[in-house]
Amino acid sequence: MKKFLAILVALAVATTGFAQAKLTLMQGKPEIDAAFKAYAAVWSKANNATLTIKTLGGTSNAMGPQLKADFAAGSMPDIFTIEGPEAYAEWAAVIADLSDQPWVKNTSVAFKSGGKVYGAPVAVEGWGMAYNADMLKTAGIDPKTLTNYAAYKAAFAKLDGMKAKLGVNSVVSMAAAIDMGWVVAHHNFNSYLSNGLAYDDKSVAKDLVAGKVNAKRLAEYADWVELLFQYADKAVLTTGNYDAQVNAFATGKAVFLHQGNWTDPNMKAANATFKMAFAPHGSMSTATDGIFVAAPSYYAVNKDSKNAALAKKFLNDMITTTEGQKFMVQDAGMIPAYSNVKLSPTGQLSASVQSWAASGKIYAWNQGLTTGDFRDKSLAPIYNQFANGAINKAKFIELFTTAVANYGK
Amino acid sequence: MNKKKENNAVFWVFVTPVVFAFLLVVIVPFFLGVWYSFTTWTSSARAGAGTQFVGLTNYFKSFQDVAFSFSFLITFGYTLVNMVAINFVAFGLALLVTSKIKGRNLYRVGFFLPNLIGGLILGYIWQFIFNNAIPALGHTVPGLEGLAKPENLILATNTGALMALVIVGTWQYAGYIMMIYIAAIESVPMELHEAAQIDGAGAWSRMMKITVPMAAQAFTVTMFLTLVQSFKQFDVNVSLTAGGPSTMFVGKPILGTELIALNIYNTAFVSNNLAQGQARAVIFFVVLALVALIQVYLNKKKELEL
Repeated sequence: MKKFLAILVALAVATTGFAQAKLTLMQGKPEIDAAFKAYAAVWSKANNATLTIKTLGGTSNAMGPQLKADFAAGSMPDIFTIEGPEAYAEWAAVIADLSDQPWVKNTSVAFKSGGKVYGAPVAVEGWGMAYNADMLKTAGIDPKTLTNYAAYKAAFAKLDGMKAKLGVNSVVSMAAAIDMGWVVAHHNFNSYLSNGLAYDDKSVAKDLVAGKVNAKRLAEYADWVELLFQYADKAVLTTGNYDAQVNAFATGKAVFLHQGNWTDPNMKAANATFKMAFAPHGSMSTATDGIFVAAPSYYAVNKDSKNAALAKKFLNDMITTTEGQKFMVQDAGMIPAYSNVKLSPTGQLSASVQSWAASGKIYAWNQGLTTGDFRDKSLAPIYNQFANGAINKAKFIELFTTAVANYGK
Repeated sequence: MNKKKENNAVFWVFVTPVVFAFLLVVIVPFFLGVWYSFTTWTSSARAGAGTQFVGLTNYFKSFQDVAFSFSFLITFGYTLVNMVAINFVAFGLALLVTSKIKGRNLYRVGFFLPNLIGGLILGYIWQFIFNNAIPALGHTVPGLEGLAKPENLILATNTGALMALVIVGTWQYAGYIMMIYIAAIESVPMELHEAAQIDGAGAWSRMMKITVPMAAQAFTVTMFLTLVQSFKQFDVNVSLTAGGPSTMFVGKPILGTELIALNIYNTAFVSNNLAQGQARAVIFFVVLALVALIQVYLNKKKELEL
């Protein structure tokens, strides 16, 4: 037994030991963790290195505390993900310039600052109102008409009257509990910031950061929020978690789902076989024919890492080799953000995002232009109270306006 | 070498590793933390950001934040209710398992078990019970339909969510406190009980006049433990309510069940303000130390020597 143990220890030392370079990658997508680890093992073997994948996901900003702890301890990961300008600012001093990387010419959505490339896009992601196409067909509603508030209002009312026939508990699966604050105060909030605007029009977000709201836009947006909350399952809305929200739709208990294409693996796990796709948000009275699509997170390389060159090689291998592409698109089910990748994910919602993007009908993700503090601590409680029925629409608008006026104070 | 010197050497050999560890993981971080609370320290690599001394700014800002004051208020409330609940339940359980009831050793183990489950997991389990199991009861058991209504969900209201924290806190900690009470109750000399019985004292008066006063030392310990445990409640808070639902406090919408430890965490990591979180932690330390000292002083006065 002792001998056996000694051999084991020796083996462990030999395999992890001296000659190999060690890389650590920290990322925030639990749904791709298994696929990522499998690819990391293949890549490590081929490159005589050890690549460790650390996944910290779940709630918004879950990676932040761990990155800070690792940074303070002097063991910052070699590659880590950032989500836009706020996160970039936090780590600007250690992020390597990737402008000279070969993959840069193959993507239009790399993270840039001051004309230089600092982040390799993880994937293209999108959300709108995911709908159950079979149910809409039964109800005689054409999803193409769902582009503004009035259309949604009529559709929701009609569907609400057919709940028994459709076998659903509610029309919309929506979540606004505090730990689901990211659904309302990040994603839904973005309807106010960017719906109906040109892709690079950041005026509403910039005004907001300066403390000003667009009253007309906000009034229409508040109607939309009220409509979503009104036709949602109250239990899921006020106390449900991610699984409760997504599974209500996946198991045919709701016609619409307010989430993005990252729910594809959940749909697969729940054996959801019905036809589904995305429709635009109805946050305005004018028609907004597009969904929110962006590459919201990026791989950044730690420039102080002694293996920075190898880290860059890994990113390049992942994007350019067949194995890397297979991992990103087929195993992890992500929509590639690189033109040289010819594969397509199989999930229905991802396919829907791709078709919206292909026809150019997309609106931006601008919520990342505001701080996480503002969204999680100022906005999320307001949505939560509106969902609980503690405040009405007028009060919602008032509190929202006050929160914006106090932005950053 | 004489005997005394030798003893001294042995003393230092044994105590040095402990002192070293204590310095390294308690004393140094503590004073470093106090220092950071007076600076703009942030554990990140913000370009051009250095650590500057800013005096009491972080403390003033903490007191200006209504959410922080609210967290203190509800933490006091929570602590009070939680201490009473845990100690009542624990003492009751201790009486039960020191009586002649059948299978008492099995109960001892059973009541102690929840304490071995991590708080985070426990929070998620109870979240499932409150959000799914209880409404499911309402759907299936006739006469309990009210439980299935969304407006009756325990975690959907503020007081409900706070009570849920107390229920889970009690469930988790009562078994541990029970162990201390068991030891205290079993150490009460039987002669006292026998003498009182001969004098005609009933079970209730024997408990109140003999068991409780004789267990006063245990009360000092259990009160202290439950006080500190309740004040520092964090993991169950994160997983069970995450601070929700929201409530209004002096005209501002804030998190309704954000206990002080969670408030400190959110300040440091959600708001990315580590130095201010550190300042709040220092305030928390001072308050908790004061409250705990007062509690121990009051309890000590009630202890008696045989």
